[in-house]
Amino acid sequence: MTPAVEIKGLYKRYAGGVEALKGIDLVVGQGEFFGLLGPNGAGKTTTIGVTTGLVRITEGSVRVMGYDVVSQFRQARQLIGLAAQELNFDWFFSLWDLMILQAGYYGVPAKIARKNAGRLLEEFGLSAKRDVKVRALSGGMKRRFQIARSLVHEPQLVIMDEPTAGVDVELRHMLWDYLRRLNKEGRTIILTTHYIEEAELLCERVAIIDNGRIIADGSPAQLMAGIKRDGLSITVEGWSDQAAAGLDGYDYTFKDGRLRIKVVQPERRLADIVTRIAATGAVVNDVTIDHASLEDVFIELTGRRMDD
Amino acid sequence: MISTGFYTFVTRELKRFLSLYNQTLVPGLLTTVLYIVVFGKSLGSRIGDIKGHSYMEFIIPGLAMMNAITNAYSNSASSLFQAKIMQFLDDILITPLSGLEISLGYIIGGAARGFINGILVLVMGLLLTDISLAHPVLIVVELLVVSWAFGAVGLLVGIFAKTFDNIQLLVNFFLTPLVFLGGIFYSIDMLPPLWRNISLFNPLYYMINGLRYAVLDIADTSPVVSFLVSVAAAVIFTLAGAILFSRGYRIKE
Repeated sequence: MTPAVEIKGLYKRYAGGVEALKGIDLVVGQGEFFGLLGPNGAGKTTTIGVTTGLVRITEGSVRVMGYDVVSQFRQARQLIGLAAQELNFDWFFSLWDLMILQAGYYGVPAKIARKNAGRLLEEFGLSAKRDVKVRALSGGMKRRFQIARSLVHEPQLVIMDEPTAGVDVELRHMLWDYLRRLNKEGRTIILTTHYIEEAELLCERVAIIDNGRIIADGSPAQLMAGIKRDGLSITVEGWSDQAAAGLDGYDYTFKDGRLRIKVVQPERRLADIVTRIAATGAVVNDVTIDHASLEDVFIELTGRRMDD
Repeated sequence: MISTGFYTFVTRELKRFLSLYNQTLVPGLLTTVLYIVVFGKSLGSRIGDIKGHSYMEFIIPGLAMMNAITNAYSNSASSLFQAKIMQFLDDILITPLSGLEISLGYIIGGAARGFINGILVLVMGLLLTDISLAHPVLIVVELLVVSWAFGAVGLLVGIFAKTFDNIQLLVNFFLTPLVFLGGIFYSIDMLPPLWRNISLFNPLYYMINGLRYAVLDIADTSPVVSFLVSVAAAVIFTLAGAILFSRGYRIKE
C-alpha cells in the first residue's frame, strides 16, 4: 500500500544558515497513529511545514499518499488536514464563516461544507459560539476550533502539531479520545508532541527527532525494550550469598538493602524472582516494577532530557 | 474553469472589505465631497471653465481615479500584510490553491474595492454637478484596468512589507504626490513647458487623462496611449506580484 507519508533525504537550511533538517528519511503507513517526538527546535515543525507546503525544501522529497508535495501539491494538500501549533486565525470572520471558507478553499461543495461545519462545531462543543469571532474565544476553545477546522474537508492525513500544548486535563483527554476515534475510522494521524506520555499512550509508532535528525523509529514498546531499562526494585531483608546464588541467570545489583534486577517484562518474572529470594530465607518487604519510558530512550540516545 | 477554492478565496477578499464599508467605502466618498465643495465650488469659480467644463466637473474624473488607485492599493497590501503579520496566511498556503490563484485573489479584491470607490465618486459627481458620462463602457474599462494595476502594486508591497509603515510609506511618498502631479486639479496644458514635459513621465497622469476622456470627452494626451499605459502597468505589476508570491518570496521560509 502507498505510504501516507514518505520522506526521502529531506534537508532544510533556512536563509540565516540554520540547518533545521539534516537528511531525514521517514515512512508513515496509511492508517497509522504516528508520533514525531522531540525537544523544541528539533525539527518537528519544519518537517510538518515542508509536508504541508509552508516551508520550502532545500533538498530531498516528500510524498503524501504517493503525491509529491511540490510538483503535485494540489493532490497532496487536498489529503492533509493541519492543526498548527500556533493559534492564529483570520480575525475578520465568525467561526462559522471560517469553517465554510476553509472547506471552500479545499473545493468542498457548499452543502457538504455546511453539514461538516455544523457537525464538527457540535462535536467540539462550539455550536453556541458559531457566530462569534475567534478573538472572543478562550484559549481552550481556540484549540478546539483549530482542530475542528482542520477536519472540515475530511482529510485522510491529519497532522496535529502539539495539539495539547497548554490545554487543561479535561480537554486533553477529550482530544485524545477524539484522535483515537479518527484513527479507528481509518485516518492516518501524525502527532508532534514533546509530551512523552502522550506519545506513549496514543501512538503505534514514534520517531524521535533531535537536532534535525531522526535518531529512533519504532513502536514505543520496541524502543523502550531496546534500552533495557525495564526491571524490578526489591527491598530485601536478610540478603545472603545464598540469596545471590538463587538469582543466577538474572542481571542484578544489590546495594543498601535494595535489589535491582534488569529484566524484560518484569510483571511476568516477578513471581519467579520473589519465590527464589524467599526460598533462601530472605524477606521481601517491598517491590517496585520499573518500566523504561520514551524519555529514557531519548536520554539513552542523546545523553540529555527532552526538556533540557 | 474557476475552481471552488479560487472562488471561495475571492469571495473572502470581497467580503472582507464590504463588511468594513465604513472604513473602505465611506471615507473616500466623504473626502471626495470635501474636494468638490472646497476646490470645486469655492476655488472653481475663480478658475473658470477648462476645455468647456466647469472646474468642478473637470476635477471629478481625477478624484474618481485617485480614489480607485489608493483604495485598490490599500486593500490588497493591507489584506496580505495582515494575513502575514497575524500568521493566518498559513491557513491559505496549506490549501490546494496555487500561488498564482492566491495572488489573483488578492488583486481581484483590491481591484473590486478600487473600482467600486471610483464608481461611487462618479455617482457623487453626477449628483453634485451637471456632468454626463461621455463613454460609459470606457469608464468601466479604465477604472477596472487601473484598479487592477494598483491591486497588483498592493500585492507587491504586501509581499515586501515588514511593517504597516512600509505600506503607508508608498502612499505618502509615491502614490499621493504622483496622483496630485498627474493632473487631477489642472490640465497640463496650463503648466510651463518644462513641467508639462516632466508630467509626461508620470504614469498616473495617463490614467487620470484616460478616465477624463471617458467621462468628459476631453484629453491632454491621446486616450489610446493613456489606455495602453494603464494596461501595461496592470500586466507588469500582476506578473511581478504573482511570480514573487508563487516563489514564496518573503511568504514561505
